[in-house]
Amino acid sequence: MFTDLSMTIFSIFAQMSVGAFIVLGVVQVLARTRGGRSAEEIDRLTDPATYAVGVTLVLGLAASIFHLGTPMNAINVLRHVDSSWLSREIAFGLGFAGLGFAFAAMQYFKWGSAQLRQVLAGLTALVGVGLVASMAMIYASLDAVPAWNTWVTPVQFAVTTLLLGSLAVGAAFMGTVMWRRRQMEQAGEEPATDERDLATITASLKGIALASIVLLGAAFVIIPLHLNELSQGGAAAVASAEVFSGAMFALRLALVFLGAGLLGFFVYRFASRTEVNPQPLAVVATVAFGLVFVGEFIGRSMFYESMTRIGM
Amino acid sequence: MAVKLGFYFDQTLCTGCKACQIACKDKHDLPLGVNWRRVAEYGGGTWQITGDTFAPNIFANYMTMACNHCDDAVCADVCPTTAMHQREDGVVAVDDDLCVGCRYCEWACPYSAPQYNAETGRMSKCDLCTDFRGEGLDPACVAACPSRALDWGPIDELREKYGDVAAIAPLPDPSVTQPNLVITPHRSAEPVGAATGAINNPREV
Repeated sequence: MFTDLSMTIFSIFAQMSVGAFIVLGVVQVLARTRGGRSAEEIDRLTDPATYAVGVTLVLGLAASIFHLGTPMNAINVLRHVDSSWLSREIAFGLGFAGLGFAFAAMQYFKWGSAQLRQVLAGLTALVGVGLVASMAMIYASLDAVPAWNTWVTPVQFAVTTLLLGSLAVGAAFMGTVMWRRRQMEQAGEEPATDERDLATITASLKGIALASIVLLGAAFVIIPLHLNELSQGGAAAVASAEVFSGAMFALRLALVFLGAGLLGFFVYRFASRTEVNPQPLAVVATVAFGLVFVGEFIGRSMFYESMTRIGM
Repeated sequence: MAVKLGFYFDQTLCTGCKACQIACKDKHDLPLGVNWRRVAEYGGGTWQITGDTFAPNIFANYMTMACNHCDDAVCADVCPTTAMHQREDGVVAVDDDLCVGCRYCEWACPYSAPQYNAETGRMSKCDLCTDFRGEGLDPACVAACPSRALDWGPIDELREKYGDVAAIAPLPDPSVTQPNLVITPHRSAEPVGAATGAINNPREV
């Protein structure tokens, strides 16, 4: 278990960052077009989450360094972009980080027009998609590893990206609300959240809850298809499938199911109510994210463990 | 590329003594866990049923493997740093000045040729004993084999002399990497794709 810890941390954090960035973009677009909110109003809500994306991305990139035997040579990994998916991954990763930080800085200092910032955010999200795609191709392109050399790898990476991204944004929104209320409390004021802000957040959370239930369904279809594919392969494929069994595998499935499914349902229920106290919603959104994060983390760790090669 | 070099292995002569493996390890002073050449003990069997009698029908043979300096060297293709590269003579080698030790080549190679050396923090692999060959000597593994089951040379010459069989279990299908390898199969050898046996010493290879 946890044989490739640095790779597990890097891939999970990087994918969560890309997913969260995309989901924040979707929230922005929908809140403006369907919620009738202004750019400034939504920024107030999404900016803290955007900065959090930067933190998780940096954590992930830092973890990836520990995977290297000779980190001093790290700059060389960009030398083979024309042939190696690993070079491409790092190029996209640095691109996503660079554009993301430029965007975050422009948001923070309100540099440039809102339109310019939107274009930059869109570009950043596209490069993020490139990052997840090249990450998937690193594994999916290896003929020697049957457990990875399948359509399942990119699809599973996409599901993880969006699932963790959605739930992380949900938790970050509620965290922001609760933190601001606490600030008010400490200042001796009656804690309150702007009604229209709360409406935007609950609408977002309802969307996030629905998305996670759909993604959970997708994940639970992909896993048996993958196992079936491996069972029909050669000796290496059959051997690698053995990883996906036992108590840890059951725990991983249970955690993702509880987090995305059951709690998704509660998030939807709570978000549909119009209560003044957002605390129960905050707890549910945070726990849902935590459970799915741990479940996906175990799943990714098993993914690395399933590396059984053909040949000798 | 001028001349492509490769290995020849006569499986009918191999006794599984692993002298090639030890000679390689000694010559290159490899640390614990790093074995550029390894010998797999491949075996299996079925039951032969005659009337009410079940008799075991078993087989075993050996496969020695280092690096095949493949035409389609997947290790070099996937290497992010270009440290893993194919030299003019077709030998696939690691440039220590470039290697970052990410171990991606290790995942990609179905022959386990690139191996991580924790002492140097870099990948390492068979270079067909470049220094020995420069002195007119055979590679250490070839020279050490008491059964003379190993040979090396320009792959065209090896294929002319010994044929072009390389699709023998437990090796992968040669179409994956186009290895510069020729094998004279043991009588119990199983072709790739019709393999029923297994490697019986997986921790050694």
